[in-house]
Amino acid sequence: MSVRKGLSALVGVSLLLAVLAHFNTSLGVAPYLLVLATSVLFWVIQATSWNLLSGYAGYFSFGQAAYVGVGAYAVAVLTGRHGVSYPVSIVVGGLLGALLALITGAIAFRLGSLRGEIFALLTLAVPFILAAFVRINRDIDGGLGTTLPLPAFPDWIGDFQHLIFLLMLAVATLAVGTALAVQGSRLGRGLSAIHDNEDAAEVLGVPTFRYKMIAIVLSGALGGLGGALLAVRNGAVQPELVFTLTVPLFVIVMAVLGGRRHWAGPVVGAAFVTVLQDELAALKLDQWGNIILGGVLVVFVVAAPDGLFGRLRARPWLTVGVFVPVLAGLVLSGQYTELDALLYAMVAAIVVAVVYDRLRPVAAPHRTTPAGAEPAGRTAPSPLSAPQPDSGRDLVAVAGVIRDFGGVRALDDVSLSVGQGEIVGLVGPNGSGKTTLVNLLSGALPPSAGTIAIDGRATVGLAPHKVAHTGVARTYQIPKPFASMTVLDNVAMAVMFGRTGASLPQARLAAADHLATVRLGHLGDQLPAALNLHQRQLLEMARAIAAEPVVLLLDEALAGLNPAEIDDAVAVIRRIHEGGISIIIVEHLLRVLNQLATRIVVLDRGVLIADGEPAAVLNDPAVVRAYLGRQRA
Amino acid sequence: MTAVQAALSGALIGGLYALMAAGLSVTWGTLRVINLAHFGLILVGAYLSYQLTSAWGIDPMLTLLVSAPVLFVVGAALQWAYDRFNIVEFNSLLVSFGLLMIIIEVSTQVWTADFRHIDAGANPYGTSALHLGPIALPVSRLVALGFALLLIGGGHLVLERTFAGRGLRAFAQDRTVAASFGIDHRRLGLVVGGLAGVSAAVAGMVFALGNTIAPAHAYEWFGTVFAVVILGGIGNLLGSLFAGLGVGAFSALVAVLWDPSYEPFVLFLAIILALVLRPQGLFTRRGLA
Repeated sequence: MSVRKGLSALVGVSLLLAVLAHFNTSLGVAPYLLVLATSVLFWVIQATSWNLLSGYAGYFSFGQAAYVGVGAYAVAVLTGRHGVSYPVSIVVGGLLGALLALITGAIAFRLGSLRGEIFALLTLAVPFILAAFVRINRDIDGGLGTTLPLPAFPDWIGDFQHLIFLLMLAVATLAVGTALAVQGSRLGRGLSAIHDNEDAAEVLGVPTFRYKMIAIVLSGALGGLGGALLAVRNGAVQPELVFTLTVPLFVIVMAVLGGRRHWAGPVVGAAFVTVLQDELAALKLDQWGNIILGGVLVVFVVAAPDGLFGRLRARPWLTVGVFVPVLAGLVLSGQYTELDALLYAMVAAIVVAVVYDRLRPVAAPHRTTPAGAEPAGRTAPSPLSAPQPDSGRDLVAVAGVIRDFGGVRALDDVSLSVGQGEIVGLVGPNGSGKTTLVNLLSGALPPSAGTIAIDGRATVGLAPHKVAHTGVARTYQIPKPFASMTVLDNVAMAVMFGRTGASLPQARLAAADHLATVRLGHLGDQLPAALNLHQRQLLEMARAIAAEPVVLLLDEALAGLNPAEIDDAVAVIRRIHEGGISIIIVEHLLRVLNQLATRIVVLDRGVLIADGEPAAVLNDPAVVRAYLGRQRA
Repeated sequence: MTAVQAALSGALIGGLYALMAAGLSVTWGTLRVINLAHFGLILVGAYLSYQLTSAWGIDPMLTLLVSAPVLFVVGAALQWAYDRFNIVEFNSLLVSFGLLMIIIEVSTQVWTADFRHIDAGANPYGTSALHLGPIALPVSRLVALGFALLLIGGGHLVLERTFAGRGLRAFAQDRTVAASFGIDHRRLGLVVGGLAGVSAAVAGMVFALGNTIAPAHAYEWFGTVFAVVILGGIGNLLGSLFAGLGVGAFSALVAVLWDPSYEPFVLFLAIILALVLRPQGLFTRRGLA
């Protein structure tokens, strides 16, 4: 489903809901269902807001309450205490949510070694700080919470309950529409790559920092808007009620339950959890509510970590086929209220879908093949379009580079240049600084001193994705594929975010060519988990050349392969080289380098000790001593 | 003088924070499990102390004879389950969050949401204080510091000096390699989980000595205790001790010199600052995080 169609369908459903709600009394729908629906919509907003960053990019936040609180307090202070009109204060609530997210992200995502857990805990602290701030500044709160006046609204809307339903519906539509549009966009692909492997995404040219910032700001704005509407609905705001841990707790349960990688997951989760809570309250079992929610969270993380939505979507007819008859039967029997019937039908559909899947595991998801892709607006760039021969120019120029780790000098005054058409073998004993040099060239690490230029452009100080755009691509010694994407889409990611950039359909076309270059064309529809080590390393190479580099860094791309696989990989490397890409290859197998490399560079304890023709270098006594050790000495 | 008094008595409360943080830190650092249910175990430890003291009229410290073995078993069982279902890092955060909700709700069913406290007659440590000149040190807080020094010092020595401790540290750094050298992580994990449970029993007992108990406390501990774990360096027991004392003293100083309501505000700002400047923890040597 294209984004445009999805958005049209979403707006259609929203309009239908609005009309249904408007005529609810004539249709015989009980008023309490409208109240419940308003609650569901509030949680749809919050769960979707949370999912934009935490679901798509995988950075879990415990700070959703901060956005809710900021939005609610914007309305409480501006309208409740200073008489500003509601539309203004609600919009300010959204803006303040966005601003808070901007600050949080600017601090949190700047931490170089920031791990997901630390981000989660940082966000946990934010609502505590804000709640304390509100309690300190009695001007904000009056010390006892703030009550709000009833908003004015046109007569045709009916009553306040209808008004707040429509407002919630509008913001929920905005939120879900945003999530839907993001999921189908470059941003969405990039966030998904960040989720799977942030380092690899950055090296392939995904601007990870900017994407995370966009996601967190969207999330903050939507969360703030929802919080502002919560204040309007409740008519009163207190710190205990908005800065509560219940908010992050609920949104996490909802998104995990529904599924985090698809926009519809949080919607399904929010609807189910809210209706369930309401039913428990109706049965006077509220005190069991948290126990059940906690149990649901435990069971789902263990048994169905991908969430319900994926399961339901895999079997749409089964789901509908169970849901509709059960709902109709229960309602027609007259024994149950609409709500009971709705809940039981939902439970029945979920149980059947999950149990059915347990019995018959779903095959690998079907993905679009390039043949089915839309015709490209412009011809996809040929993967092997050779750069103009220009042997006089240095593609890589490293001068006087030093890199220290604490007190250890990993690279000491290394200078190296690589020209057009070369295959440079980089060798040296373990710990001699080979991988460090690769990390410096790809921008993953900054040098402590010295300069690096790629294709004539200085790269020191550039973010890794910018370095990638100067024309460097790399593979990892331990392959780092994006686990949630097919082999073809892994390569398409690199084309999309590569030097020229492309839309997804174009990128898939180009990606198919790159896969053919490394002879993985037949595996395009597979997930990376289905590949063996050799195939994964070939995938790494395909992904790297898809970024259209001028120089390719291969970090031990032959490690762990058997002799037949090595011959195969060497043939692939030659083909890549013939396509006009210069190569720097880190490798221990001197026999292979001897026939493959045009030049060999030797590092020993961070110092460059030899650089020249393979035969000459490998016979150099200093190299033999350093590299081959005492066996030959 | 009030500042000195505040800093000292705050540092003593910090002993309690350190006790609460120690179990969390060690399972996170060595087993890669972020066990939020630990807060639930502390809560249960506190309630057990309250219940047994009230029922039998014994010294609150003696209740550890019951609560420590019980929570050892619970902690070990939790770790067994995490290991059995291969729940580590992020998933453990979610699963243990669910477990924590369940523990808190069950506690509410058993002990109600009302504040409970050990009857003054049965609690010789509740109100007495040690006087050093003008400075008064509440005995319940001295007990907190004493237990913190004992447990954390002991734990540190075990981790540094014994074969099992070395095995655990090796396991934390590279589980596959450690396993291939014959380190049975399952058995070690059960012991570590159980000992974390014991530390929760002690922390709960110490908490019950000087405070009223309510289920909602488990959530309130979140912020401070995580701050202590992260500032101390994840898995670094001595670091948690220092961080606990520091956070305690710092909070108390803010409360006295400024205003008690500023305490969480300043504390969490300081924590964010510390995280930004030293994300690997204040007491972790660089490169060994």
